[in-house]
Amino acid sequence: MKTKSIQLEHVKKRFADEAVFEDLNLTIPGGKFFAILGPSGSGKTTLLRLIAGFDSVDSGKIYLGDQDITNMPINERRVNTVFQNYALFPHLNVFDNVAYGLRVKGVAKDIIEERVVQTLRMVHLEKMMYRSIAQLSGGQQQRIALARAVINGPDVLLLDEPLAALDMKLRERMLVELIELQDQLGATFVYITHDQVEALTVADSMAIMNYDGEIEQVGTPKGIYEFPTSSFVAKFVGSTNIFKGTVEITPESTSITIDELGKFWTTAQPDKTWVYDGASVLMSLRPEKIEISKQPQAGFANHVRGTVRTIMYNGSYTRYTVQVEDGASVHVFEQNEEHFPQEVIDYDDVVNLYWQKENVVLLER
Amino acid sequence: MKKEDLRALFEKNMQFFMSIPAFVWIMIFFYVPLMTILGRSFFVRSRVTFVPSPSLENYATFFDCTYFTIINRSLLLALITAVACLLIAYPVAYFIARHVKTGKNILLFLVMLPFSVNMLIQAYSWFFMLGKTGIINTLLLNLGIISQPLHLLNTSGAVYVCVIYCYVPFMILPLYTALEKIDARFIEASLDLGANWLQTFGRVIIPLSLPGISTGFFLVFIPAFGEFVIPALLGGGKQMYASSLISYYFLTTRNLALGSAFTLLSSAIVLFVAYVIYSWLKKIRS
Repeated sequence: MKTKSIQLEHVKKRFADEAVFEDLNLTIPGGKFFAILGPSGSGKTTLLRLIAGFDSVDSGKIYLGDQDITNMPINERRVNTVFQNYALFPHLNVFDNVAYGLRVKGVAKDIIEERVVQTLRMVHLEKMMYRSIAQLSGGQQQRIALARAVINGPDVLLLDEPLAALDMKLRERMLVELIELQDQLGATFVYITHDQVEALTVADSMAIMNYDGEIEQVGTPKGIYEFPTSSFVAKFVGSTNIFKGTVEITPESTSITIDELGKFWTTAQPDKTWVYDGASVLMSLRPEKIEISKQPQAGFANHVRGTVRTIMYNGSYTRYTVQVEDGASVHVFEQNEEHFPQEVIDYDDVVNLYWQKENVVLLER
Repeated sequence: MKKEDLRALFEKNMQFFMSIPAFVWIMIFFYVPLMTILGRSFFVRSRVTFVPSPSLENYATFFDCTYFTIINRSLLLALITAVACLLIAYPVAYFIARHVKTGKNILLFLVMLPFSVNMLIQAYSWFFMLGKTGIINTLLLNLGIISQPLHLLNTSGAVYVCVIYCYVPFMILPLYTALEKIDARFIEASLDLGANWLQTFGRVIIPLSLPGISTGFFLVFIPAFGEFVIPALLGGGKQMYASSLISYYFLTTRNLALGSAFTLLSSAIVLFVAYVIYSWLKKIRS
């Protein structure tokens, strides 16, 4: 099966007097699970509606594989959508909802029946075939929406926050099933969400959109989480500590000096042209990359001391806010590995924070 | 019973007490007269002694082709009016409900405005428009399309045009309400799944607007069956409709017994037909 990529070139879109996209360029690789992650109001749903054809671009081009689909009617695009609130036809039962796409194409009755059963089996709902939509739970409706969308064998499946209405356990299970489904079908999945956990979990690669409808970064979940290229991405995906500082480069080492925190070693970053001696940059440090301990530790490049101000127990990990001597606050996540940890950290304890220089990410200001 | 108890009783059953005046009103002015009509329809007055005696004779009178032709004519008028109103009103309601972005209420108001004119006045307006020197004939004569004034008044065509004209607003309102409620995503989902516009219309929009279609249909069908003013005014009394026959019995021949029997008979028939149509609509809905 040949997989189709999606390419958006110089897409511009306005609603009334509000610009959603000024000049959007994005390539979604074929046959992959691609997530578009952005805050509410970033225009990610509009992007999906442009690909599906529900809205049309003001200028620019959209390609599906090599084919220009910019002005192609909705019903001719080999693209199907799983809507945010499913949009299952309330006047049809489960079977008729799933069969809809085949019926309008005039597929023979016995083939429809066979394909519907096969597709319902894929989402584990073959027993619900003749139920009415109102009789289904949220999770079941979600699966029917999926089945209805994939029965036509689309090149691209668009999913608009499909799990937003489900509870956490069900969401986790559906994520796994979605990944399996994508493997099975091999179609290009485009998954729109504002939930970073969902995006990181399902995506082979992902794009991050900011409030202005611009793509901030495209990459693998790991690449985006570990090596964000902007403070927006660093802050939006996961949690982080961000500080302003000044770069100092000597032939042997690279370091960053932060007024309220101190001087820290980092790795040399020759590919970033904006990192030069005396440059003003941002430092991003993920809370879980920081080691917290009351006892001094060896083998770390960077070290500060501070006082514990808040403690939030979160089950698998604990979040600390540590106020350092110069006044800045640093967030630290520590895994709760033991029932009875060797060292109990309490409010107002003086602690040491350590991190390796490889874990320091420099961001352009 | 103490004063507080009375008060508590009233507050607990407030809805019931508040609806008593309406019940009493409908009882006195609808159900009591209906019962007297029912009673009268089963009595025949002796021609000699004028003493009424129970009988089915009144009903027997109507087992005659003539009367069924009259009922049929009214049924046909009601059915064609309802279908025509549906065909005329649907595109209007669809356009206002789904394509107009701003000023929906103004457009709806303008469409409903004729509704605020008394039906008798509307019928009179048509009377003058369709006359020998009316606007239609004058226009066609002056344009040279015809040389003799057309005979428009006192035809069943005139009756149909006017009845349809008067009842269209009754159809627009329920259709508008039903169409406005349809979530745009259902239409998008249908197109997304490969349906073209016609398929989407037939498979999604019509089924989802069926509640409005059925409400509008009966809102037109039942009163159109009993339409009295328009056939009298524009039909010239040449063709009898159910309502004209009823008024003939009550007002001209003063045969209240026959009038009552015919009233009940025709009402029963129209309700039966309405029920059959309703069941059919309900069946295609599920």
